[in-house]
Amino acid sequence: MVAPLYTTASGLLFHAGKILVITIGLPARGKTHISRALERYLRWMGVKTQVISLGDYRRKTLGGAQKLPPDYFTLGEKSKETIALRKKTSDGCEKLIWDYFEAGGQVVIYDANNGTKAARQALAEKFDKSGIHVVMLESLCDNKEIIEANIRGVKISSPDYRGWDPDKAVEDYYHRIRDHEKYYETLEETTWPFIRIINVGEKIILNNIQGYLQSRIVFFLMNIHNKFRTIYFARSGQSLIEHSYKADSDLSPAGWEYAERLKEYVLERRAKSLEQRGINPKERKLVIWTSTRRRAHHTAWPFFVSAPQMPQQPAAKSNPPSSDAVPPTSPTLTSTTLPLSPSSSSIKSISSIKSARSSRGSKGPAPLPSQIKVVEKPQMLEINPGIWDGLNPDQAKKYYPEDWDRFVKDPYSFRAPRAESYHDLSVRLEPILIELEREQEDLLIIGHASVIRCLLAYLIGLPASEIPAIEIARGDLLEVVPASYGVHSHAFHFWDGPGRSKDGVADEGDVGGGVKDANNFYENYAEDTKGKRKVATEEYAAVVAEAARVAEVVNAPGH
Amino acid sequence: MLQEQAEGAWLPGSPGIPPAAFGAGGPMLKQFDQSTLVSRKGSQSTTPPLSVKGIGGKVAKPDYSDSKIVLAMVGLPARGKSYLSNKLMIYLKWLEYDVKVFNVGQLRRTRARQKAQQSGVKEDHTANWFNHGNAAANQSREQLAHDSLEMLIQWIFLTIRADATNSTRRRRASIEARVAKEKGIHLIFLESLCDDPAVIAANVALKVSSGDPDYKDTSPEVAKRDFLRRISEYEKVYETITEPHLSYLQIVNVGSRVTVSRIHGYLQSRIAFYLMNLHLKPRSIYLSRHGESQFNLEGKIGGDSLLSSRGMQYADALPALITDNIGNAPLTVWTSTLRRTIQTGSKLPYTKLTWKSLDELDAGVCDGMTYEEIEQAYPDDFANRDDDKFNYRYRGGESYRDVVVRLEPVIMELERQQNVLVIGHQAILRCLYAYFHHLPQEDLPYIKIPLHTVVKLTPKAYGCDEERYALPIAAVDTHRPKPSTTAPIVQATTARKYFAEGND
Repeated sequence: MVAPLYTTASGLLFHAGKILVITIGLPARGKTHISRALERYLRWMGVKTQVISLGDYRRKTLGGAQKLPPDYFTLGEKSKETIALRKKTSDGCEKLIWDYFEAGGQVVIYDANNGTKAARQALAEKFDKSGIHVVMLESLCDNKEIIEANIRGVKISSPDYRGWDPDKAVEDYYHRIRDHEKYYETLEETTWPFIRIINVGEKIILNNIQGYLQSRIVFFLMNIHNKFRTIYFARSGQSLIEHSYKADSDLSPAGWEYAERLKEYVLERRAKSLEQRGINPKERKLVIWTSTRRRAHHTAWPFFVSAPQMPQQPAAKSNPPSSDAVPPTSPTLTSTTLPLSPSSSSIKSISSIKSARSSRGSKGPAPLPSQIKVVEKPQMLEINPGIWDGLNPDQAKKYYPEDWDRFVKDPYSFRAPRAESYHDLSVRLEPILIELEREQEDLLIIGHASVIRCLLAYLIGLPASEIPAIEIARGDLLEVVPASYGVHSHAFHFWDGPGRSKDGVADEGDVGGGVKDANNFYENYAEDTKGKRKVATEEYAAVVAEAARVAEVVNAPGH
Repeated sequence: MLQEQAEGAWLPGSPGIPPAAFGAGGPMLKQFDQSTLVSRKGSQSTTPPLSVKGIGGKVAKPDYSDSKIVLAMVGLPARGKSYLSNKLMIYLKWLEYDVKVFNVGQLRRTRARQKAQQSGVKEDHTANWFNHGNAAANQSREQLAHDSLEMLIQWIFLTIRADATNSTRRRRASIEARVAKEKGIHLIFLESLCDDPAVIAANVALKVSSGDPDYKDTSPEVAKRDFLRRISEYEKVYETITEPHLSYLQIVNVGSRVTVSRIHGYLQSRIAFYLMNLHLKPRSIYLSRHGESQFNLEGKIGGDSLLSSRGMQYADALPALITDNIGNAPLTVWTSTLRRTIQTGSKLPYTKLTWKSLDELDAGVCDGMTYEEIEQAYPDDFANRDDDKFNYRYRGGESYRDVVVRLEPVIMELERQQNVLVIGHQAILRCLYAYFHHLPQEDLPYIKIPLHTVVKLTPKAYGCDEERYALPIAAVDTHRPKPSTTAPIVQATTARKYFAEGND
């Protein structure tokens, strides 16, 4: 057997060797935000990555700011005690970095100010000597609003300022930054490859960036943003042949019902959620991504059908053998400035919808987005079951016992003949993920369980090995709001019917709530969670809580 | 389902034969479609879309109408501007964007040639013409740039670029002002800077030696001197991009340093990423199909069969052919995850990597059938595929377009790599080949890539050199020409275009 592309015997991916990313920048320049996002992305690709944060380390070993000598954050003349403490902190971090590399880690992102040329030069040389590729990552910010927002939103909620008056805390923090500014030396040396990000992605300067992984890092950094938006996930409706990949079967009558209900619920939920934040839902667009499978893009169908200006039947009708019903796009309605991917197979756009039926009864239909756009993406097909197509897990186990054993042992990377592993699926979805990061509008992804698993795992930051066991129930709408560090996610149960078990119905707002999923049909054996340790919805609620806790620690100010 | 039975037989320890998967080979598909029609009547949807039937259908072309981009090149002569814009055009066209390059130099040469033909007056286009003190010439240069921009805006398609020096702030401001008048067009400047004398010298040499009509009937030495003088005329007034409000991409020494400023939108960032991955190091890309497989012999499509005995002979002969050709240079071999390509590469003494994206076009419900069987069972659908093969998606499988989308990361990686041998499949290699030779989508599914032949592509500044090495091992012909037409004749060209299209 030949090795898969970019996997090496040492377990390092992409033949990239070990990489140390040294962040450079004044406090409140979004270094931590960038570091964590990068960590999440690289881990999702299967690269062993760790952020080592000097601020966290300092707080852990020395305690909060109150416990430090008064000159700890003022640069310049310092007492001996302070110098010793600072050295102890940075030495401790360095040791953590070495330990992680020695333990088989591939990428370390060293999240610290590294504001002086001499210090970062010395650090880089040390690691370079051991054959570790060093990349400098500088985050500059001259936009006062971004800095202020960062301080208010993130910094003053840190343990260092527990119990402070917010305005006083902000003032104190500015004071801390000002001291840093006097001594900060911006990155001018071109000795090392560097990436300089100005105002969170407004401008990016690259010097001598080479190598596959490095170029992926750059592409990723070019696409992240920190504007508010919401991402929704829902599974496609029940189809006529649930277990066949090849049949590409259409929705069952229950599936059509589901599609109608989904539309109503999404519009309602979205309006509620935006209104809570003081945003007018009519002013924002909604973009819908589906796969090219009929059951997926037909689940988005109700979003078109109720549009009054849409012709009743697609033009494709004159061409009977065409199995793909493509609704015509009204030419006057396509004037949008949305970024488009070269990958979209077809794009449909409508400017307004008069909602037909609504579950809100007397309240009337939910306010509509200013525009709804549906994009079909071929990369979003469900995981390919290969020769196991059409089999249920019991049959797969019966007819292919050896493969089944290997599959159960490692459901993430096992690839049945002609099938895709979850790792293959992640690689296929990577362009979608970049587009997801880039997208600024509200997004609804109507997809297959396997695809939603991969994307959700990325957003939440779950380890790759857990992906195959994430429970994605049909009839739940997942709402994900990216925040500075990680995401807030909720599951809303909106539908019961064929294709979903009736037992253990979850309450709205409850994350999952322990739904028994015995009848919640998946599209093929690989999508099924049978034989895998389940990551129930409660569990990823816990993960989110954990992420929030980590964020709290991380959010603390620089050191 | 012959294929599944065969699959079951290959797997050790499979008790019994699993139930047949859904396929077009039996009555199953037709029965199912019939029942779908019935179930449709219970549908809750007010206007349900067409129901699924048959083995596949045509897919609509993606609509990119809301991303109109003008990319204006900035840079001194001989900085690789035309090279970059040409590469970018090929890449974007391959992804089915409408792209056109508006090259001011081409327009100038074309107009001068027309003038010469009509009136017999030959304009002086030596360095004097590029002297910025020459008022008349200045004006006519401005006029050319203006006309070219107007032509571009009239050309209402999606992604558009001007290719000229655009080397002063004033010129850039005037482009900006003009483009701003049109709704929904994004303007990006792409600046190519170069201070490495070796790179510039190579570019100058290429320009002078490649038959530039500006230097027709001039000796290379004179031409070179004049061209260098032309550069220095531009250098006098050259202003690099510093305007902070512009969207721009600045590339120094072919990617060693890159600045990306105010690039918004997915396509824009894709363009930036692509340009970052280009390099100019000499290298070759070898394309080979797997050796003849058992399915090839039986005329079946898809599957994961092993090689035939003739296919094995090819696998045995391949190492000598490649090693003779490449010598001691390093080479990486890419295969798909299917057994026939892995087997074909098994004897090669190089690093071998498998890539799932290189797997053959998925024929969905038709996988494992012969063309004759498909034609018999679904004559209408089958004829449809030939109407528009590029856009035809097999039910439960893929179209050529889907394959192009899936190969995009492969192209990106191929651009970054040096010598690579891709052992692939017919449809996959057609897509890769079409990218390197810049062939149109409608011809793509009919490109001839015979078995037991290695195609060697050597990228040059304006195209690819091609050599083919056919090994004398017989194999079946799996090429199915488009009924009543001939296969496209591929004219491999590395020559630069000096005149605007349609004027030659």
